[in-house]
Amino acid sequence: MLDRLFKPARDPLWSALAAVLAALIVSFVAIASSGRDPFAGFGNLASGALAGPGPLGETAIKSAVLILTGLSVAVAFTVGLFNIGAEGQLIWGGLAAAVVGRFDNPLALPLSLAAAAIGGGIWGLIPGLLKVRRGVHEVISTILLNWVAIHLVHGWLVAGPLSAATGSASISVAGTAPIARAAWLPRLIPGSRLDLGFPIALAIAAAVWFLLTRTRRGFEWRAVGAGSEAAYASGIPSGRRVCEAMALSGALAGVAGAFLILGTEHKYPGVFRTGYGFDGIAVALVGGGTAAGTAIAGLFFGAVRAGATRLQLSGIHPSFAELIQGIAVLLVAAPRIFLPLWKRLRSSSEPAASAPPIPTVQP
Amino acid sequence: MKRLLLCLGLLALLGGCKKKQEAHTIGLSLDVGGRGDQSFNDGALRGLEQMAAGLRYTARGYEPLPDAEYAASLPPDLRGQSFPHLKMPPPLVLSGKAQEDYEPNLQLLVDQGVELVVAVGFMMEPAVRAVSARNPDARFLLIDSPVLEPSGKPTTVPNVRAVVFKENEGSMLAGALAGELTKTNKIGFVGGMQLPLIKKFEAGFRAGVRQVNRKADVLIAYTGTFDDEKKGVEVGQDMYGRACDIVFHAAGLDGLGVIKAAQQAGKLVIGVDSDQAHVAPKNVLTSMVKHVDIAVYLAVKDVLDGKFSGGDVVLGLREGGVGLAPIGAGLASPEAVADVEKLRAAIVAGKVAVPATIEELAKFTPADPSSLGLTHAVATR
Repeated sequence: MLDRLFKPARDPLWSALAAVLAALIVSFVAIASSGRDPFAGFGNLASGALAGPGPLGETAIKSAVLILTGLSVAVAFTVGLFNIGAEGQLIWGGLAAAVVGRFDNPLALPLSLAAAAIGGGIWGLIPGLLKVRRGVHEVISTILLNWVAIHLVHGWLVAGPLSAATGSASISVAGTAPIARAAWLPRLIPGSRLDLGFPIALAIAAAVWFLLTRTRRGFEWRAVGAGSEAAYASGIPSGRRVCEAMALSGALAGVAGAFLILGTEHKYPGVFRTGYGFDGIAVALVGGGTAAGTAIAGLFFGAVRAGATRLQLSGIHPSFAELIQGIAVLLVAAPRIFLPLWKRLRSSSEPAASAPPIPTVQP
Repeated sequence: MKRLLLCLGLLALLGGCKKKQEAHTIGLSLDVGGRGDQSFNDGALRGLEQMAAGLRYTARGYEPLPDAEYAASLPPDLRGQSFPHLKMPPPLVLSGKAQEDYEPNLQLLVDQGVELVVAVGFMMEPAVRAVSARNPDARFLLIDSPVLEPSGKPTTVPNVRAVVFKENEGSMLAGALAGELTKTNKIGFVGGMQLPLIKKFEAGFRAGVRQVNRKADVLIAYTGTFDDEKKGVEVGQDMYGRACDIVFHAAGLDGLGVIKAAQQAGKLVIGVDSDQAHVAPKNVLTSMVKHVDIAVYLAVKDVLDGKFSGGDVVLGLREGGVGLAPIGAGLASPEAVADVEKLRAAIVAGKVAVPATIEELAKFTPADPSSLGLTHAVATR
């Protein structure tokens, strides 16, 4: 069932576009049926995402995070694993960046990003090892590790040993002490929060594309994803490859967390409710599991998220962005799940012996 | 993608032509608790929508608020006072779903040309600091935190009015009431996140208990969040299971879960921020109210009267900024209520120094109850 979600549709780009367009139409109707002006609503949504450097900056910072968490899910899927743990990996990455970013030195920014990649990577490697060594299903272990991360980091580290002590009762500072200025992601345009994270995210997307489609390692990962035993039989160390991909997957989510800390918060805040890790699943699904598709889907959903701020001027709650996202995922996923079921139902009425499917390597 | 952007752009144009946004005088940005927390955010909304603008919020937008409904919607302890509606267009209220949404929300309100931007909650302090510096002509009301320098030192900014409350004073009254009424001598405190602000509630509450009843134990628990009702239910069930008969919560939305646990256990609970009696009339003993509504109302009034000024405002028992909501009918003995009133008078008169931190609480020695006239407290000893 799960793997079917990521089977490339015949024309993934068009099916994704159609799904997104249909989602927009459904949400358009939803606004209209709630008695509000859908044109004004969509106008506000668009201008909140695109009109001027301020809105574009918001789109960019949200997109950068969504692209990375989407890539995280997509990379895990190339080796056939469903990583639902991007949220936990993002949290560890963010925390690592907030801790390392406090040491003021000229290399604070790259060091913080590296720390985030390592922090997230370790948290991604754990379910990979559990899968390979002990056969623990990664869906279970990654979901559970999310909660471990949330409670360890939010419930203990940030509220306890790492919290910024203020001493005065009238000041309610939540979270860790601020990071050094040198660790901030530099902002690129005045009047906008657009920062270096966005170009870095695009570069990472390009690098992931190259890795997956143009290198031997990427080929081996895909071979493992297509059939790990067949890959093993042909001389690929499947277990190793699974662990590598999960570590990269975690590292990508970790860097996403670092973007939020180094770009906008400048410390690990006391309340860090993001959900971007889970949204990464949606981004990767709509993006068809490819690097380019994920980047485009991340851009789109980032824009919708940013536009939601302004959407409120039409009296619509910002959660509406998630409605659009949810419908799009449903429309992308539903045909991939239900069409094969439908076909099987129809073919089972005729007594035809179906040959076992031959595993193929995805392009 | 390009085509999609084109479509969106087209829609934007259509939307733009349609009509100009109506002018708003006052804008307000909620924190993650959001509308419907029956507590802090709803208090701010009451000050703005019901009291100042005379409107009620419905799924279809704002509607005029009938006078009878207005009178009923006011917290009972404010019903004697008069808060006439102010002449203003409907306010503009935004929700923040995540930390990084606060800054764009505040900037959007400024861009809409509102005369006052209300930022509800200390979590918005960094965003208020950034947006107020960028827009020196805009005016801001920040609730629950002073403006801070990047180093964390409190400071004042001419275009920001920062309101903080002496929650410890109101919490001490809640503690005294609980201390007098407990039969098991076990009382609970449930906080949200472990912040100095919430410790202030805890310190005042424990001081109140100690003032009237040295035998009572106070169990302390923190849920770690402000927006997870489930956690509140769990912690509440645990406390009532450990023989607590009264629990005080300062946990935002989590606190609604504590109230639910009180209902299940048939025990008493003390609400926070807004009067929460309507949530469970048989179980909510009282609420430690924090008049965010008054703070918002007064700031709006000052703006409309042209008298707005920045700087810090501290609201305690004396100013009526904190206090206890009316005590549930039949839930407390008249002697206990009389003692709490005497303690209130003593705090207002400056005879009792209420600890605001756990460190101050450690040094706190209760005044001799008889010197404050706390007759019932002496009897329980």
